[in-house]
Amino acid sequence: MPASNTVFEAKWDHASTLKKVIDAVKDLIGDTSWDCTNTGMSLQSMDSSHVALVHVLLKSEGFESYRCDRNVSMGISLNSMAKVLKCAGNDDSVTLRHESESSVVNFAFESHKEERVSEFELKLMNIDTEHLGIPETEYDSIIKMPSADLRRTCADLSQFGDSVTISCAKSDVRFETSGDIGTGNVRLSARGSSDKPETEIAIEMINPVSLTFALKYLNFFTKAAPLSDTVKLCMSNNHPLCVEFPMPEVGYIRYYLAPKIDEEQDNE
Amino acid sequence: MGIKDLSKLIAEHAAGAIKENEMKNYFGRKVAIDASMALYQFMIAVRQEGDFLTNEAGEVTSHLLGMFHRTIRMVDQGIKPLWVFDGTPPELKSATLEKRKERRGDAEKNLEEAKETGGDVEIEKFSRRLVKITKEHNDEAKKLLKLMGIPFMTAPSEAEAQCAALVRGGVVYATATEDMDALTFASSILLRHMTFSEAKKMPIQEFHLAKVLEGFGMTQDQFIDLCILLGCDYCDKIKGIGPNKAFTLIKEHGNLEAALKSLDKKKYQVPEDWPYEAVQAYFRAPEVAAPADLTFKWEAPDEAGLIQFLCTEKGFAEERVRKNMEKLKKQKSGPVQGRMEDYFKAIPASPKPSTSKDLAKAKLAEDMKNFGTLKNKRKPDAKSPSKPSSAKKAKR
Repeated sequence: MPASNTVFEAKWDHASTLKKVIDAVKDLIGDTSWDCTNTGMSLQSMDSSHVALVHVLLKSEGFESYRCDRNVSMGISLNSMAKVLKCAGNDDSVTLRHESESSVVNFAFESHKEERVSEFELKLMNIDTEHLGIPETEYDSIIKMPSADLRRTCADLSQFGDSVTISCAKSDVRFETSGDIGTGNVRLSARGSSDKPETEIAIEMINPVSLTFALKYLNFFTKAAPLSDTVKLCMSNNHPLCVEFPMPEVGYIRYYLAPKIDEEQDNE
Repeated sequence: MGIKDLSKLIAEHAAGAIKENEMKNYFGRKVAIDASMALYQFMIAVRQEGDFLTNEAGEVTSHLLGMFHRTIRMVDQGIKPLWVFDGTPPELKSATLEKRKERRGDAEKNLEEAKETGGDVEIEKFSRRLVKITKEHNDEAKKLLKLMGIPFMTAPSEAEAQCAALVRGGVVYATATEDMDALTFASSILLRHMTFSEAKKMPIQEFHLAKVLEGFGMTQDQFIDLCILLGCDYCDKIKGIGPNKAFTLIKEHGNLEAALKSLDKKKYQVPEDWPYEAVQAYFRAPEVAAPADLTFKWEAPDEAGLIQFLCTEKGFAEERVRKNMEKLKKQKSGPVQGRMEDYFKAIPASPKPSTSKDLAKAKLAEDMKNFGTLKNKRKPDAKSPSKPSSAKKAKR
């Protein structure tokens, strides 16, 4: 029974999605603030070195029930939130509640047979968040591929080097790296699949693109693979890479990563 | 040196203006370093058994060892240092310099006495006070930087003022110095502890001028007035006015002139011929070289030259110099990691401006931000934030 001054209450039928969302971002950004409005919950945060940006959107339609009377911003340590969510079974329902002027957020987990109810209170933090405006971009190349393929590619190449150069042409995309012990490259060709769209590799290319990124961050991003079978890589020259893991009807996680720039260009 | 008690006031009234960061988070950043301040620091800190490091010929090498290793520490973290040396001190400073000379004289006398009475601690204490950076030290430091491929410049006058101009001109990200007056010269960002030894394990302290002004509720001119009252390098301060009194005086009266008029002259003695107006003018528009005319290049080190200078002439261990040189070379190759802010512009976070006073404050902060970043190179497409998080958008 929610107290009368509850301003925010959101309920998922199953804890698994929220658990996966938190696991996908907690290692990249430590403390962040969840912005809750009547359209949903979102967070936007950079990692401590300001190289990557995470944008998570959980749309109100994706919840079992959702209510937000006025906009609230809840500063939370994602590691603490992960700890709390560990206490929920994957199939338990999760209810998040925040009261007006309160310094805590409440979590309630309920098993579906209703024989076990657990409640936790997490202290909110004062977080000085810096929000960045993400410009609407017409990307030069957009690659849609199975998220498992991206995860494997990045993991494989990290054994050889720190950076990967992603080059997108009309019908294939190449991932290349080099390091002290040698070099490696992976080429993925476009392939259609009418019966299994999640295994499709689709390339929309307006202009060819070749950009270099730190593999360390890409490996953080692919932690979101369990959330979505497919992933979209959006690239433009001299622009951050956008890696989107769509969650149909629920929302998305978008990661942005600043490219590595050649020193020569930088000095001019 | 610097502005008395300013960091204390900032911690008290504008805590949000101070951030602590690990040094490694500054990779790829160009930073202007106040060389004169750092050299002095090296002379004090880089010592052995209480005395300067010297080579076999007895020449002091503390400044070179410090500059070599601390520069490499920064380069190793991917930082691009640009050293700025003091030029001719402004005339305003002559009184202060005169006083420092007097104090040196005292210290010299004290040192002599201490040597006679034989107290080691005393000897060290006074010899530290005698530390002076000569033209020779500066020239050697510049020679070292040249060989290392690290850019440097000599300011027309004060190094901190030149650093601040470079920050505002978008040439570098921040000024690295321990002197707080870089903020008075309107450096948008000031970094402390950048040239400290790694062993101290001091995180980098980052001061944001816009947030200082926002927290203080002051304009840059009012801030300058406050700094003059606190005590700066260019004129005496009024005896009996501490940081809190200075802060309330400017807050209540709006500027130094009005504050002076209100002062009880019996209680507080304003120095005769107090040149505060000249100091105000100097802080507002110090003599600097225009950043637009300056270009800096980070180049590969001259290996043979470094070995010759450091090892043959100055007696450094060759193995260590070579090992450190590898670090310099390593950073020269390979692409440089970009940052999110290079592409996406920050949306000024105005925390629920509900009252008109808050709104005015937010506006002021906004203005200052623009003041600080006006000349920064921004991608035109980053100017229109299309998808700010909806909550923040609603608040604005």
